[in-house]
Amino acid sequence: MTTARETAARAPSDRALLLVIPAAAFMLLLFVYPFLYGLVLSFNPKQGGWLANYHFFFTTDNEWPTIWTTLRLALPATLINVGLALPIAYKMRVKTRYQRWVTTILVVPITLGTVLIAEGMLTYFGPRGWLSQFLQLVHLYDGPIRLTHNYWGVLISLIISGFPFAFLLILSYVTGIDPVLARAAATLGADPKAQFRHVYLPLLAPGLAMCFCLAFVQAFSVFPSAILLGSPAGPTRVISIAAYEAAFEQYDYSLASAIAMLMGLVQLVIVAAVLGLRSAFYRGPVGGGKG
Amino acid sequence: MKHDFKELKLDRVTRRFSGAGGKAFNALDELTLTVKRGEFICLLGPSGCGKSTALNCIAGLMQLSGGTIWLDQQRIDTLPPERRGFGMVFQNYALFPHMSVAKNIGFGLRMRGVPPTETASRVAHALKLVQLTGQEHKLPGQLSGGQQQRVAIARAIVIEPPLILMDEPLSNLDAKLRIETRAEIRRIHRELDRATIYVTHDQDEALSLADRIVVMKDGVVQQVGTPAEVYSQPANLNVARFMGYRNVLELDVVREDGDRVALEGQAIALTGMRKQPLDGSRAVVAIRPEEISVGEGPGGLNTIAGRVDNVEYCGRDSLLDVITPSGRLLHVRGPVTTALNDTVRVYVPVERALVYPSDRTDTAR
Repeated sequence: MTTARETAARAPSDRALLLVIPAAAFMLLLFVYPFLYGLVLSFNPKQGGWLANYHFFFTTDNEWPTIWTTLRLALPATLINVGLALPIAYKMRVKTRYQRWVTTILVVPITLGTVLIAEGMLTYFGPRGWLSQFLQLVHLYDGPIRLTHNYWGVLISLIISGFPFAFLLILSYVTGIDPVLARAAATLGADPKAQFRHVYLPLLAPGLAMCFCLAFVQAFSVFPSAILLGSPAGPTRVISIAAYEAAFEQYDYSLASAIAMLMGLVQLVIVAAVLGLRSAFYRGPVGGGKG
Repeated sequence: MKHDFKELKLDRVTRRFSGAGGKAFNALDELTLTVKRGEFICLLGPSGCGKSTALNCIAGLMQLSGGTIWLDQQRIDTLPPERRGFGMVFQNYALFPHMSVAKNIGFGLRMRGVPPTETASRVAHALKLVQLTGQEHKLPGQLSGGQQQRVAIARAIVIEPPLILMDEPLSNLDAKLRIETRAEIRRIHRELDRATIYVTHDQDEALSLADRIVVMKDGVVQQVGTPAEVYSQPANLNVARFMGYRNVLELDVVREDGDRVALEGQAIALTGMRKQPLDGSRAVVAIRPEEISVGEGPGGLNTIAGRVDNVEYCGRDSLLDVITPSGRLLHVRGPVTTALNDTVRVYVPVERALVYPSDRTDTAR
């Protein structure tokens, strides 16, 4: 039983906890309250019972498939970003003359907005864009190339904007691993492939899971590029478009909230699954002993 | 892998680095050395002397800029580290943090495709050898520094390498543990009957462990010899300084009589034994504090008068700073009864006053 005296005795040191208040207030006002407001709103539909919005979403032909449409974009984009960033970041772990340059070039897209990327891609990948013209010039491919206003346009844009995040995250994980571990593995008979598989990969796994989650959440909420580079009426009608239409075209805030809640739920399920896998790996410090 | 090797031969092994301002320097300059099976070799020197570079070159973690390395008839300096099969113990242990003790030790066997049952028995044997039985399921982070270092040693020896390389393995341990682990390393070396190359900057460690010591400075070998040779007959002034000859006096050469040299200067007259050919009229006498004793030499030979300027009590004796009338400082081991500001006469036997060419000619080499 905690007595009043014990509580009093602990109180002075707990005063530092007061510093949490601004952040907590920020979270409450700008995240928890809007979230709960939306959650409650989603159960108060314009008409019908409290589950009418959810019932509508899952029974309407251009609503529920948006979940798959979005997953079909977000999962491959995330896998490609993480999968591409891993080997490049691994190569960049050793300081070389080019390391700084390559890193800079790879990270530059982070400074570009989605709209700017879309603009550039329309010029470059469009039917009369440079890529198409170049391929026709060298007679590599003479047919029309369609990489914009469809699935591929959105996927490419997600890769361009998402890759730098994945790369920077993984680079920081990779460089955090003491290179002496790989050297120790080498003296024990591990060739470079085995060093990666048995030393780097297991130590990177938790970081990769983290990186996957962040990249996935970012990709799953794709909106501008799905409109600018995709075909928002059909193959790239992602879930955020459905929510946007409900809110600002049909002025049904309640339905829009329900869609937003479902969007959050899907993200939560994927993130929870990946983090669940993560707990299967070693997650302690990644040094080799005393430094 | 080769178990029954006869010798490892380093032939003019050189490693160049590009230093600051693009100026290349030799971190290791033409190291030539033959290590026989069963031998315990210590590479000894101050930091930056090239001893770790030498070890990394042998392990294959660093490429040579010149020279060759041979294991019997096989040239190995062109092989990557994983094909050389030497066991290495790193200064910071370099244990795999995500693997249990048993997995860490078994890693090398796993890489060699040794079947699991054999791996288990060999790991158990290695654990017994480093006295860590019962800890096999712990992660390295759950062990103390000394235990981690023993796991690192077990991991290096379980693959039964022809050669075990150790890079200052004890420098992260406290004094007591260092002495215990030192004895353990020597015992393991004897039991395995392989060769060990051990890098250290600690003379005591080198003296107590090694069959032969290689003293290095600035990438160049200064002396190769048994601990007794390096301790009592340093080949040059660098080695003498490093091996604890704290009294270094530059004097004028008066007379050379065979190896016996008489020197003089500033109210000091000393006779010592020449260790290197002298060039010029100046020379340096190097003497250990413990080889100067308080008292009078036979017939007043090699006796210096002075005043005690500082006393450090060491238990069995005291370390005295003695200042001569001309202002020279001598480090002397003396009886604990000596007090500050006492006037004393100290002397050194002729054969323990070692004479080398003076520093300037030595560094111009």
